[in-house]
Amino acid sequence: MNSYVLGALVNVELKKLIRHPVNLFMNLLFPALLTIVFMFTFSDPELGMSINSVVPGLVVYAVIFLIMTVAQSFSSDKKLLRRLSTTPMTSTEFISSQIISNMIVAIVQLTIVFTLAYLMGFRPESSFGGIALALPLTAIFALSSVGLGLITSTVSKNPEMAVGLSFLFILPQMFFGTFMPLSSSTEVIAKFVPSYYLFDALKLVFEGSWMNSAFFYDMAIISSVSVLIVIIGIALFKKYGSR
Amino acid sequence: MTSDIESMLKKLNRKELLELAHTKKINIPKNWSAQFIIELLSLNIEVEEIQKSKTKSTKIKEKTEMAPIIVIEDLQKKFENVTAIDGLNLEIRKGELFSLLGPNGAGKTTTLNILTGILQPTKGNAVIDGFDVAKNASEVKKIIGVCPQEATVYSFLNAKENIELFGKLHSLSRNQIEKRADIMLKLLGLTDASQRRAGGYSGGMLRKLNLIMALINDPKIAFLDEPTVGMDARARRNTWEFIGSLKGEDKTIVLTTHYIEEAEALSDRVGIIDYGKLIELGTPEELIEKYGVNNLEQVFLNITGRRIMEGL
Repeated sequence: MNSYVLGALVNVELKKLIRHPVNLFMNLLFPALLTIVFMFTFSDPELGMSINSVVPGLVVYAVIFLIMTVAQSFSSDKKLLRRLSTTPMTSTEFISSQIISNMIVAIVQLTIVFTLAYLMGFRPESSFGGIALALPLTAIFALSSVGLGLITSTVSKNPEMAVGLSFLFILPQMFFGTFMPLSSSTEVIAKFVPSYYLFDALKLVFEGSWMNSAFFYDMAIISSVSVLIVIIGIALFKKYGSR
Repeated sequence: MTSDIESMLKKLNRKELLELAHTKKINIPKNWSAQFIIELLSLNIEVEEIQKSKTKSTKIKEKTEMAPIIVIEDLQKKFENVTAIDGLNLEIRKGELFSLLGPNGAGKTTTLNILTGILQPTKGNAVIDGFDVAKNASEVKKIIGVCPQEATVYSFLNAKENIELFGKLHSLSRNQIEKRADIMLKLLGLTDASQRRAGGYSGGMLRKLNLIMALINDPKIAFLDEPTVGMDARARRNTWEFIGSLKGEDKTIVLTTHYIEEAEALSDRVGIIDYGKLIELGTPEELIEKYGVNNLEQVFLNITGRRIMEGL
């Protein structure tokens, strides 16, 4: 893999994030707005919801919306991808650039949510080292969003369709894999939703109780499922998506 | 006297100019435009030296240009029930400007898409500079530049950033990219707009940027798919002059176009395809003579018009 080429591609992806209004809003402003609104709404103890649960959920919200931006971006850039494929750039370099740039975005999102929540009264019980664990966890989880975005783009005929279909992956993760209350039946569904494990792991990190088997179980699930999803996404997109 | 020398020098192509400079022990940077070289040389040489050089260079050119750099054999491409290319056989010579002409849907773009590795052929093969396009695509991609029919640029990047990306994908240094980009932006009149985002460009400007991105790697072979379509007459003329100037850079240019008059003026040879088959091949002069008409457009209408009538 040529790191010079990879660097150039990551640079373009990050510029897209900043300069493209939809990407800028969905990736950076939306998590910020969501954090402010949720922190105002749920910081009242009378509502019975712990801020310690809300903050991990907000991080999950931010990262799962990457599915939409990835799907939209791949669908609208199909002609550009065709053109890029006539250069010496390899598909591995291209996919790696997508993964790296989305991991960077996920870390920025985590930082935004955490900083705003902290400014609004959120106080994690973990040490700094413990909190730092949230970074690799979130970055690895971003792989699943890239993978699901690729799958969505593969089956979408245009960017609008990609945005719509992305909610098939976003909504279950929002409702079954965050701080929304679960019944005994929805708890079963939640076990099949990747965000459920990130939410749980982040909660353990912020509570300072991550040195246990539950955390490492979450971590193992997040890593293996995210890698699997991104591999499936790449395979499907390579075979059918760039047509 | 200097203007006489200059006018003689203007008749030489870039390779000939560089050879002349070499004999005078003048180092010419690769990125210098032909005009700069002419001005420098005109101060340094005598008329007879140009004539001597021209004779030598022409002999070398004739010898090397006969070798084919692109060989297409029995190429076929089917899309479900439609045969886009039907047993195409063609050789394109090194250093020539070859125009692929044909009516809409004749198979021109599909042919270019196969040659550039975007599409896989159903049958047959294409070899570029000794590399099979289907089997050694990575080697082929190092030596080609592709200007697609539709202007495909990143709208949120400015012209320089778009060009820089494509230069970097070919592993060119920032310095190399900047030098080459500056020259091409200037020649195509995009310098002033180079810091503006491509999303705000007019159609003509996008096409010019599209072309520069294809040529930033100084490719051995450039595939230009209707590079001037949608441009106004002035921009088109400017772009054709630019494409014409590439002929002197020892580059093989394969282009498709609907502007037959310009193809006639610029092309060394033209191939006319229809229904995915090569139906005529030769220099514009040869074809005009063969069909006993006044220009290439009449040749084109003669051939493709007859085919249309046969189809009715």
